[in-house]
Amino acid sequence: MIRAVYKLLQVIGSETEPGQISLGFAFALIAGFTPLVSLHNLLLLFLILVLRVNLSAFFLGLAFFSGVAYLLDPVFHRVGLAVLTAGPLEGLWTTLYNSTLWRLEGFNNSIVMGSLIVSLLLFVPFYLVSNRLILKYREHFLAWVQKTKLVHVLNILRYGAGS
Amino acid sequence: MTGDRASSTPAAPPKSPQKPAGAGRWIRWPGVIAFAVVTVLLAAVWWLLVDGMIECAIERAGTQAVGAKVELAAADLTLLPLGLTLNGLQVTDPDEPMTNAVEVQRISFLMDGLNLLRRKVIVNEMTVDGVRFGTPRKTSGAIGKQEPGVIQMVAKTKFVLPSAQIPDVKEILAKEELRSLKLAETLRADIQAEQERWKQQLAELPNKAKFDEYRQRLDKLKSAGKGGLGGIVGGAGEATAIQKDISQDLEKITTAKKTFDSNLARIRERMDGATKAPEEDLRRLRDKYALSPQGLANMSSALIEGPLGDRIETALRWYAKLQPYLQSGGERKGNVEVVTPLRGRGVDVRFKEQAPLPDVLVRTAKVGMDLSAGLVSGTIRNITPDQPVLGAPTTFEFAGDKLTGLQSLKLSGEINRVDQASPHDAATLNVRGYRLLNLPLSTDDSLPVFVKEALTDLDLKAGLRGEALDANLAATLQSVQVTTGVKPDADAVAKAVASALSDIKSLHVKADITGTVTHYAVRLSSDLDQVLKQALGKQMQEQMGKFESKLRTAIAGKAAKPLADLRSSFGGLAGIGDDLAHRVQQAAGLTKGGGKDGGLGGLKLPF
Repeated sequence: MIRAVYKLLQVIGSETEPGQISLGFAFALIAGFTPLVSLHNLLLLFLILVLRVNLSAFFLGLAFFSGVAYLLDPVFHRVGLAVLTAGPLEGLWTTLYNSTLWRLEGFNNSIVMGSLIVSLLLFVPFYLVSNRLILKYREHFLAWVQKTKLVHVLNILRYGAGS
Repeated sequence: MTGDRASSTPAAPPKSPQKPAGAGRWIRWPGVIAFAVVTVLLAAVWWLLVDGMIECAIERAGTQAVGAKVELAAADLTLLPLGLTLNGLQVTDPDEPMTNAVEVQRISFLMDGLNLLRRKVIVNEMTVDGVRFGTPRKTSGAIGKQEPGVIQMVAKTKFVLPSAQIPDVKEILAKEELRSLKLAETLRADIQAEQERWKQQLAELPNKAKFDEYRQRLDKLKSAGKGGLGGIVGGAGEATAIQKDISQDLEKITTAKKTFDSNLARIRERMDGATKAPEEDLRRLRDKYALSPQGLANMSSALIEGPLGDRIETALRWYAKLQPYLQSGGERKGNVEVVTPLRGRGVDVRFKEQAPLPDVLVRTAKVGMDLSAGLVSGTIRNITPDQPVLGAPTTFEFAGDKLTGLQSLKLSGEINRVDQASPHDAATLNVRGYRLLNLPLSTDDSLPVFVKEALTDLDLKAGLRGEALDANLAATLQSVQVTTGVKPDADAVAKAVASALSDIKSLHVKADITGTVTHYAVRLSSDLDQVLKQALGKQMQEQMGKFESKLRTAIAGKAAKPLADLRSSFGGLAGIGDDLAHRVQQAAGLTKGGGKDGGLGGLKLPF
């Protein structure tokens, strides 16, 4: 836990592009909310490795959002089922259902569909808000945080008393 | 890979590395290589672990389904061609944890790879080799306390050896209620009530005093007739009035007499019934306590029902276990079907497919069973829980010839869930020349009975339509050798039964099994009844004669006093009838009688 907090402070306090950190968190939102072994997560892995996404942010976010996903599973199920059984979309889903690629994706599972929709809807707002928060943090809180005893203790724990 | 990763501490942020310009600011080309490496690594890890994962999944799902340990020695997945081989599958018998219900040496699947990508497990061909039943286990396969099965035979006959001892009549009469006594008591109370009622009615009816009064009036009228014309005219009016009164009274008494006679006839009928009631008590108690032909039929049924019932229950228990896999639990929601997957996370929604296929389908399974008699092989087609999607039922056909201790065996049938609203299953089994060895018919201490050896022909036809079970079994046992464990000090009946069973050389059994899967009834008929009747005929007659005589005496003794009291009460009631008859006679005498009775007959009127 201490290590995670330290890592988080280290990541957002670094000089890394805020967009790269935010993107790491936003990708983590998708990978964490949706079932890990899914076809879209393979695509996500490709994007994470090819795009300059902050990997620390991604892994921190993945651990966090995977935990949250357990609590939100009932919501994902309800959203997914409502979308999959919506009359106007039946034609679309039927077409996708007859495609091998989409069947491999398992889109017709209520939790896969629900979590994917929720995470995609949250992706852009989350990216923007996260970006903004990192900038604000760096601008207003970073100097103060660096002087706090907590960070001092964390530094000692991480690097020893000489740091 | 993490060139942009911060290496600073929150306390001392590092200097920013040289930031790439243009597309390089957002794209790291080495990531493509990293992705390839990661993907290959993941595939390699999957490939290394997949066999173990399959093994675990089968063991876990199987154990949950069977209710006892299901173990697999090894699983092997091959990609080209796509197939799976399972070795050393052991399915524990939940009722006997140290025995495997089924043990399979090898199962190989040849799968449809393209459909697997579409999450459809389509097995084009499955080969099952080395199937054995009832093999011993080295360790217990129990997984905890099992709930007892709810499958049971309705009114299962318990084997009870009839006793040669004459039942104690005193004991019987102490615990049994004699209907004759109750009948006599009730009838006596009714007679007494009737008697009381008629006594009251008699008091209200014209009696001797009334008739004397009529006589006096008539005498007076006769004397008045001698007093001239005026007396004659006045006497005629009085005579008419007296005649009218007497006629009315006679009518009253006659009506009462008719009612009484009718009531008396009914009571007499009941009296006859009460007199015969002790004989009926005798018959009832004799049938209940003495060795009767019905008792013998029960005994022969119990001998056959025991082993037959055990086998039916085993078969139905396994059938019940298969049920969840014969039919998928889909629920329609609009035009689509919502199916809860086994793992219980979310639900899968099914849409219309261009070429519909079940989620799981084994097109053909070739099964070779290593029975103790030899190899029985067969084919099962269209194994799937989604028969409506496939549009065809699961069918099976097994056959074995020239086996050890078994001339031939043929089993065929189908499990039809194409229309899930009206499922129907059917099976036909024909066995010829099966050498039956050491089959226990009764393990009762009073008379253990075993079929040591018999050559059996058996035909079974079973059908299940919804919950309704209907099966017919016909078996012929020849060259029968029956052994009995009759004790030297056993009574005559036990010895006679043992002797009769030991002499049996052939036996025909027919059984009709009806009811439901959980509650079924077996109606048995066999020539065993006849054998036992003949064997026990003499013992039965002697025993029944002695018992009947004792019982008759005892019942007659008990019923004697109540019946005597009843007769006495009836006599009292009959006396009322006599009284009524006498009154009718008196009243009639007044209307017709001559001068002797002083009736109207002696009165001469001038008109």
